[in-house]
Amino acid sequence: MDFATLASQFFIGLSRGMIFFIVSAGLTLIFGVLRITNFAHGALYMVGAFIAYSVSTLFGQGPYGFWLALLVAPIAVMFISLVIERGLLRFIYNRDHLIQMLLTYSLVLIAGDLVKIIWGTEYKSMHIPEALRGSFNLWGASLPWYNAFLLVVGPVVALGLWFFLSQTNLGKICRATATDREMVDVLGINSTKVFAMVFALGGWLAGLGGALIAPTTTISMGMDASIIIYAFLIVVVGGLGNIWGALISSIIMGVGEAFGILFIPGVAIIIPYIIAGVLLILRPSGLLKSAW
Amino acid sequence: MVRMVGKKKSLIRLGSMLLITALMSSGCGSNSPAKTEDKPVKVGIIDTYTGGAAVYASDSLDGFKLAVKEFADKGGPKIEFVTRDDEFKPDKSTSWAKELVMREQVDFLAGTTNSAGSLAVSQYAKESKVPFIVWGGMSEKITGEAGHRYVFSTLPNTAIIGKAGAAQLSKSSYKKVWLAGSDYEYGHSLINNLWSNLTTLKPDVQKMDESWWRVGETDFTPYINAIRSAKPDVLVVGTGGADMVAFMKAVKATGLNKEIPVWAHTSYDPSTLRPLGDQAPEGVMGTNPYLYNYPDTPENKAFAEAFKKEYNREPAAFALYGYMGGKFLGEAIAKAGSTDKEKIIDAMEGLTIDTPVGKATLRKEDHQVAIPMSYGVVAKVNGVFTGGDLHTLNSEEIMPSVDQILKARSK
Repeated sequence: MDFATLASQFFIGLSRGMIFFIVSAGLTLIFGVLRITNFAHGALYMVGAFIAYSVSTLFGQGPYGFWLALLVAPIAVMFISLVIERGLLRFIYNRDHLIQMLLTYSLVLIAGDLVKIIWGTEYKSMHIPEALRGSFNLWGASLPWYNAFLLVVGPVVALGLWFFLSQTNLGKICRATATDREMVDVLGINSTKVFAMVFALGGWLAGLGGALIAPTTTISMGMDASIIIYAFLIVVVGGLGNIWGALISSIIMGVGEAFGILFIPGVAIIIPYIIAGVLLILRPSGLLKSAW
Repeated sequence: MVRMVGKKKSLIRLGSMLLITALMSSGCGSNSPAKTEDKPVKVGIIDTYTGGAAVYASDSLDGFKLAVKEFADKGGPKIEFVTRDDEFKPDKSTSWAKELVMREQVDFLAGTTNSAGSLAVSQYAKESKVPFIVWGGMSEKITGEAGHRYVFSTLPNTAIIGKAGAAQLSKSSYKKVWLAGSDYEYGHSLINNLWSNLTTLKPDVQKMDESWWRVGETDFTPYINAIRSAKPDVLVVGTGGADMVAFMKAVKATGLNKEIPVWAHTSYDPSTLRPLGDQAPEGVMGTNPYLYNYPDTPENKAFAEAFKKEYNREPAAFALYGYMGGKFLGEAIAKAGSTDKEKIIDAMEGLTIDTPVGKATLRKEDHQVAIPMSYGVVAKVNGVFTGGDLHTLNSEEIMPSVDQILKARSK
């Protein structure tokens, strides 16, 4: 095993982790503030990918199509999330977790059928824009440009979230709501608005994840189910509600899985679960403290 | 006011109850089965109409509907059908099968893209003696070790595909082989069959290692990077559905096809190439049971045109499987001259019919359909990606031997 292979595998794993982070950051944010286990998060990610496909196809799968899709799809998913939160979720904040799970799970089923009605059953594929096609030489091994692009987008999103949560007033209110909801209400802050906004932001992140993964894979029904398991694993391992925990565990998952694939390809499929199991035994409450 | 509303509500409730009773009794009246000989044969179709595999179920259903329509136009055997969605879950397949047999009183069962679902329904078919036509599940077990009198398969299974792939690869000079695939029944069964046939045909091949990815994998670059660094002579892949398209995309994005030859079943199938657009990896080898433009025969052209006229798209392989399912059933009813299930089964065994790909036979011993298969590579012809360098393997070359099947069943 030469250095170039190890290095390229590391960066590929890291870029895989970036997608995990973008999706699970939304999930953990929603859990932290709203205390809702949002099963529909994967569905929002899937819808994001489908919308990205439609936008890109509208522009003949050309270069503008991709960038526009990257802009439009997350915003569209954000609005869908807003409708879901205002129309459904806000009525069940004080109910059992079971009821909340049932509702978000029903959204998964509804989204699946809606996607089938709108986009049909055939596999969809979106092209990687010309500028990001192919791969470049990394010390003798090759790394696809698109993975390198993800390595830029991931940190940008993380920085943006950090800025929002720790530097803006709204972000501080979000963190306060996550820590002590009653206290925030007592201070006269409208927590309803905060809830709606956080859910929309979570939806935006899910949509962004979907739009980013769309060009590298097949856009199909069922892609929601494959991401949601990873997202939950990452959120639990990272510490429920903690975005930085999600970032760390996403990177561990992505890189760990990539090296598993390199060294023990026959059983690489169980690597994420082994990582999650070991980390949870070592730190049962997650890598970082739950919520901020 | 409140009382008024309450009264209104109870009135509505009473009214709707009356309505439902009326509807139910009238429905029961028209439903009483006619005990004549030309009563239609009712088929209960259980398949995956939602989720990642829905594209196959809609193709096979449309193919079946076309066959039913052709019989109806000819005034031939009448076939009715109802459909149920198993959501790719084997337990749902079985419960729908029971519902269809007990409540809908279907004469035949059909469908199930999910191989585990096919096996589960097949077990129920055996117990309830309601014949089951598989046009979705590709597991070799269905007509192999788990086969019985009440199950038929109208699509090539993984044993056949594996043998065809081995036949293609044995013509090459590759020695060091890397095996990879989706970690489920189809992937493992296909790769196992291909490997055991290839070692028989070409004893000097050696296996370097295997990689298995989960179904629904979205990012194949870590797998490809790892395989590339091991430098095998050829990479043999058993993956299907959405994963197949995503895998081919990654092969192109990483440029793997320019370094290492790749083999994958259905690599040049339209269902794989159409979503890829101009980003298909040239030169990827593969086998394929059906293409709407190959074989280039009048029969196939007629089928493709009829299908396109009805559903506004070209027929894919699963459309052929569903179509053959309907065809075999209709021809068997006509041959039996009866709608009795046992008589239709007798007629179906060893039945040979004309299909878009030539003569097809449901083998008497194992109820497995025998059709030819093509092999070739992904090629760009006139700016469009399609199958190139195509050759045909006839069905005798790729069917597992009857002895092999009987041996597997006696185990």
